[in-house]
Amino acid sequence: MRGLSKHFGGILALNQVSFSLEKGSVTSLIGPNGAGKTTFINVVTGVHTPDSGEIHFQGEDLAGMEAHLVASKGIGRTFQLVELFGSLSVLENTMVGCHTKSRASMLSCGFALPAARKEEKRIRAEAMASLMLVGLEKRAFDPISKLPLGERKLVGVARALSMEPKFLMLDEPVGGLAAHEIKNLVELIYQLVSKGLTILIVEHNMPFIMSLSEKVIVLNEGTKIAEGSPQEVRTSEKVIKAYLGEEV
Amino acid sequence: MSGTSREKFLWLILITVIVVLPFVTGSYVVGVMSFVAIFGGLALGMGLLLEQAGMFSLAHPTWFGLGGYVSGILAVRGIAPPWLGTIFSAVFVGIISYVIGAPLLRLKGYYLACATFGLLLIVEITMGQLGTLTGGNEGLMGIPPFSIGALVLETDVHYYYLSWVLCLGCLWLLYNLMDSRMGRAIKSFSDSEVAAKSMGINVPWYKLKVFILTAVMASMIGSVYTFYLRFMEPSVLGFPLLVELVTMIIIGGGKTLYGPLLGAFVVMWLRELIHLSLGGFLPRMSAQVDALFFGVIIIVILIFMPGGLSGWTDRLLYLGRRTFGKAGE
Repeated sequence: MRGLSKHFGGILALNQVSFSLEKGSVTSLIGPNGAGKTTFINVVTGVHTPDSGEIHFQGEDLAGMEAHLVASKGIGRTFQLVELFGSLSVLENTMVGCHTKSRASMLSCGFALPAARKEEKRIRAEAMASLMLVGLEKRAFDPISKLPLGERKLVGVARALSMEPKFLMLDEPVGGLAAHEIKNLVELIYQLVSKGLTILIVEHNMPFIMSLSEKVIVLNEGTKIAEGSPQEVRTSEKVIKAYLGEEV
Repeated sequence: MSGTSREKFLWLILITVIVVLPFVTGSYVVGVMSFVAIFGGLALGMGLLLEQAGMFSLAHPTWFGLGGYVSGILAVRGIAPPWLGTIFSAVFVGIISYVIGAPLLRLKGYYLACATFGLLLIVEITMGQLGTLTGGNEGLMGIPPFSIGALVLETDVHYYYLSWVLCLGCLWLLYNLMDSRMGRAIKSFSDSEVAAKSMGINVPWYKLKVFILTAVMASMIGSVYTFYLRFMEPSVLGFPLLVELVTMIIIGGGKTLYGPLLGAFVVMWLRELIHLSLGGFLPRMSAQVDALFFGVIIIVILIFMPGGLSGWTDRLLYLGRRTFGKAGE
């Protein structure tokens, strides 16, 4: 990303943010509330259009591309407020993630043509595999409303994994998760990264971030104020100021 | 897709009952049941749009009426035989719904409802004014019966079967559709548009496709209706039909696919019941009495079973299954 900016009215939500991510790495994006972290994800995924700047991903500029096209390029995400599909079961939610990997048209689905049925079976199996990764296969047929928040977040992760993304953005994935669930998620992230997935995490849980990330980027009021290894960022004066305020 | 053995069993029962019905009952029941199929089939598509796809479109009577008018006019003028006219009008309505849907579907919620309601009024008035083409407010007359080659559908029973084939065909198609990647996509954008987009779903395009699909279904049902009554008038595609469809969807429940059809069944037979029991001493007020009754029923349903009859039976089934074990699938 280079020089990424986004205004909302008079508010500058992102100001010339630039950085690059390495394939197969975990990077964290942190910052105080309102620093522009979620805005950043929304701009990259095409939910918002950037006012200026470029987003290079596998040799293509994604800036300003529509959200569903960005998704088809292999960029997956989860949501801070989960955003699951309430009228679908856990498995069906995960199956929606397979959308970009399936082709059956509206008519071939309507007439239940053999090709569509075959594809449906494949999607079902793949979605089930994603649920197993996050350890929710026993919940597959439950409605979303029966799940506690922590498990809902994991469904969000499974749904994004069903897309088989090359780049995955997790927006506050551990808020609401129990300790053992966090541990499982950390293991899962290691496993995914070792397979070459690039991950960007937005999070407030410092131990989680510091233990996982190879690189940490700090945003404050839409501006990047620090970038480096967890150790470097922890000792950066600018970061301490942004979080704790000036010393008197 | 075509579901569990229990679902197949229910389909079998439904089809058997419908096939056998004309043999065991009289023309009165067959007549009412034909209208259950016609309006139920129409309500199916509208219920899907309203309650599952989250698109508050009120244009269904328009597609129904346009389908009827176009195929009717083609048949009256001898341009196309009824079967070809039915197909032609479906294509015509498909194109019109594309042209109208492309800009209108950018609107959400009540704004879409307002715009499509405007469309409904405009088309109704236009049909009344185009006197030489549509027969104006007196209605389109002289429509021949439905025919395919030498096969002419003349009796009520013929139309009973035709309308049920069409209605159950629509139900089957929508069942398959909603149980597929497309159906999940449709439900997903009504729950969370931003998440649906982030899963790679082209939301505006899919909205337009469902809109067109249900419009085309409504058009074909409208054609059958026209050839059945052999008459069409502007008031058919106006506000009363809209109210009737919404009543069916609310009573039957739109969260399930079969709900609006169940609603149509209840509404049509309740109306008959009201007319039979009150027609004797309130002969001149039947429409107002209907409105009064259905108004009360809608309020009761909305308060005590907001998911409609089908939502209520689904909940009973769910509770039953949970109580008597057999969890999961």
